[in-house]
Amino acid sequence: MLKLYRMLLHLYPAAFREEYAAAMEQEFRHEIAEAQLGLAVVWLWMRLLFDLAVSIPVQLASEIARDSRHALRLWAKRPWHTGFAVVALGVAIGANTGVFSVVNALLLRSLPFRDPAQLAALMHFLPPHDSAAQFESWRRHSNYLQDAALMEDGDLNIGHPQHMLRAHIAMTSYNFFSLLGSQPVIGRTFASGDHAVAVISYALWQELYGGSDQVLGRIIRVYGLQPRPDDPLTIIGVMPADFDYPASTVLWKSPEYSPGNNGWATIGRLKPGLTWTQARKAFAADVHRLEPHRRFRADWIPIVLPLQDQLAGHVKKASLLLMGVVITTLLIACANLANLMLARTADRQHELSIRSAVGASRGRLIQQVLTECLLLAMVSAALGLIVAVWATSLASKVQPAALPSQAYTILDARVLAFMVGLAVVSAVMFGLLPALGVGRTHMFTARGSTELRSSRIVRDVLVTAQVTLTIVLLTTSVSVVRAVSHELHIDRGFRADGVITASVALDGTVRDKPGQRLQYFEEVLDRLRGLPGVQSASATEFLPLLSGKFMGGPYAFDSHPSPKGTATDVIPIMADYFATTGGHILYGREFTDQEIRSDANVVLVNETFAKLWLRAADAVGHTVTGPDGTARTIVGVVRNLDFMGQYISDVFDVDPPETFIPAHNPGGFDSTFAMKLEGQPEDHVAAIRAALQSVDRGVPVYAVETMQQRMERAFARPKFYRTALVFFASFALLLAIIGIGAVVSYAVTQRIHEMGVRLALGTTPTRLRARFVRHGLATVALGTLGGIACAASTGKLLGNVIEGAKAFDLTTYVLATVSICLIAAASIWVATRRIGNMDVVEILRAE
Amino acid sequence: MPSADNLIPLSPAVFHILLSLGEGERHGYALKREIAKRTNGKLKLGPGVLYGSINKMLELGLIEESDERPDPHLDDERRRYYRITSLGRQVARAEATRMRELAEMAAATFGKARHA
Repeated sequence: MLKLYRMLLHLYPAAFREEYAAAMEQEFRHEIAEAQLGLAVVWLWMRLLFDLAVSIPVQLASEIARDSRHALRLWAKRPWHTGFAVVALGVAIGANTGVFSVVNALLLRSLPFRDPAQLAALMHFLPPHDSAAQFESWRRHSNYLQDAALMEDGDLNIGHPQHMLRAHIAMTSYNFFSLLGSQPVIGRTFASGDHAVAVISYALWQELYGGSDQVLGRIIRVYGLQPRPDDPLTIIGVMPADFDYPASTVLWKSPEYSPGNNGWATIGRLKPGLTWTQARKAFAADVHRLEPHRRFRADWIPIVLPLQDQLAGHVKKASLLLMGVVITTLLIACANLANLMLARTADRQHELSIRSAVGASRGRLIQQVLTECLLLAMVSAALGLIVAVWATSLASKVQPAALPSQAYTILDARVLAFMVGLAVVSAVMFGLLPALGVGRTHMFTARGSTELRSSRIVRDVLVTAQVTLTIVLLTTSVSVVRAVSHELHIDRGFRADGVITASVALDGTVRDKPGQRLQYFEEVLDRLRGLPGVQSASATEFLPLLSGKFMGGPYAFDSHPSPKGTATDVIPIMADYFATTGGHILYGREFTDQEIRSDANVVLVNETFAKLWLRAADAVGHTVTGPDGTARTIVGVVRNLDFMGQYISDVFDVDPPETFIPAHNPGGFDSTFAMKLEGQPEDHVAAIRAALQSVDRGVPVYAVETMQQRMERAFARPKFYRTALVFFASFALLLAIIGIGAVVSYAVTQRIHEMGVRLALGTTPTRLRARFVRHGLATVALGTLGGIACAASTGKLLGNVIEGAKAFDLTTYVLATVSICLIAAASIWVATRRIGNMDVVEILRAE
Repeated sequence: MPSADNLIPLSPAVFHILLSLGEGERHGYALKREIAKRTNGKLKLGPGVLYGSINKMLELGLIEESDERPDPHLDDERRRYYRITSLGRQVARAEATRMRELAEMAAATFGKARHA
């Protein structure tokens, strides 16, 4: 029993324990001897445990407060050192917390649906869907899905012809809501057999109906949906404010099945008890059963994924990469601080020796150093809060979450616990070595004695580790910078500067009639071309970079059918399109106004399409036949246009075959005007919006912005990764330089006597400094080798996340090695400048 | 050096320790028994609270360690003895005055308590 009590006494802080543990043990012996009977012993133990529970926290708090006061006094003496440590650690902890808040929101926080772990996304796969019965039959007979739902979403016009709104609409199978387990706030969701009904979002309910209960039964129209473009829909329910799946939907419509509609996406719920491995196997078998002869493209293989993973998409990989980067930065900061604390503790050996001499035990001194480190980590974490809030808000802008419930925030128990945990772990990481060194330090007696060889080795190891991690970050950031810069400067087949774009949607408006659409576009183009500063104007149904949906299909060339598995995109355009957007007509010409008006059977093809059959230069004059049987004559060949830039990290053909046809019936869901301007395009935005609206107030005009702004948005994510990586790599490099400099500077102080002797024996200060540089560079070189080995092994992951980042890049490695060696040499040279001013006589006399 | 007035009111444990030491030097365990006796077993200090209080009182200068042992043959050498300092006496007096004034105020309001 005494043993147990003795163990419990170890929970007291060191100083208190050393003073009173013996007396307390003695007391315990007395009391236990007095309490002979079983019940009395139990009662004694209860009292003792209560006593421990009350007094241990009091003693801990009091001793921590005392150590903290001592630490603060020490910090005040070296404000620069302390400031550097707090900032370095604060930035690292803050960045970690910020990135973790994203990982937490996307991957750890449950989706706001019933039993979300069982929800699945069936990617690159379409179940039978030509009719409701067909889909229902597949769904009911599934051996791995308890339920499955279809959905198709996109931006459409809603409202009435005089007042149109552009909104995100989803058409879903009737069981969509029940599959997710989501309930409406008023009314009901879809039931089997429902036709022409809609459920609206809370936001739309407020905006259009002022939150009135009378909304149920009201009629709302959605325009542009095929095959029934403007059926009136009866509102039957309103969803809660936090429900907007998929992709900020404001209206869910009952389904219309039609053969050949490939716009559906499929979600499902796994059968109870089924693992993901089993589900994947069953899914693969299902795909094979449905399409036994289909060969899938390597980047388009059907797969079943947890819905959470699908929603996180490429943000998941990127966030995990960033998490790796910030953890590496934190490790570097910890290695740096460990070195700093080691040097500082060694500097304090005089004070520690005295404290030890007056009775402070090693445990007591270790506790004091650890408290100092913990305090430093906590102060840094407080600073880190600011960095974390900033990082989180930046991430929300650059890579917003798919659902409102996934909003990134640090005000989350898990995130805050992570931050505190990180601070504690960091404190242990950078505090443990100095703390363990304390017991030995105080045994040094003579001032200026040479330090232990082992502690010098520890310092060198820390520097090596720091250099290793820095090289990993450096090479990663250089790879990413090169990949992203390449991506940004690639020829996309159009010019972004000096171009303004504006989108319109005619569906459901008074202009949505045969003949009226083209007339509207011609009126607009006339007005735009008449504006001062406008050099040329045109329009397209799909704007480069930002289109995810296309019309298209197999296109035949002369009498040759389309190659198997090749789908050609079709982009309707107006006259002057390439002249306006800076596209390159390689051979032939573009369309004239007359050809657009008469819907002439002409076509432009891109290089990829032409090269499917012959040399691009020979394509003009040949015939292309579309899936509808219309034969068109090729009048020009254009350079490939990049329509998919925003999916930079996703799986799409880089240069798919494209054909351009006259936009005789324009005004679909992605119709966009483009204007080429003189001077700053931003100055013309207001005039252009006004001109567009003046043609017809009933037509919604949206996204009036420069092409440059659209580009910025499309590449915001890779640019963000680039900036983040460059920042952390620079930060790590700075820490490494300061770290190396500090270690060398400290070594100079420690070895002052030895150097005095060497100088007295005739060596020159330059030679001594060169020795330091040689030794330092050997350490750095070792770290660099380790760094390159790590970078080469993690490079593959990088290549997966950032398109074009090379897994192994010799130039980058050479560049990183040379730069870190040069910087390290310079840092060491500066740190040893004191040697040049040394007074040998003074040094030897002092000894 | 803190003044006596700044240190009151005292916790019951601290006040009783001062009262006990007012009669002479004592070691921790003896203090504990003395206090239990004085309070008819109502205040039994656990070792953590007792030595926590002693530690605090040493820091504040209310008590100090005594080098002398009453009788080395009768007692364990390892035991530490404590004695009250002059500040400790002042503080104990100030606390007693405070309590007396409080008791008088209560008597004026509610009348004197009758003992059965």
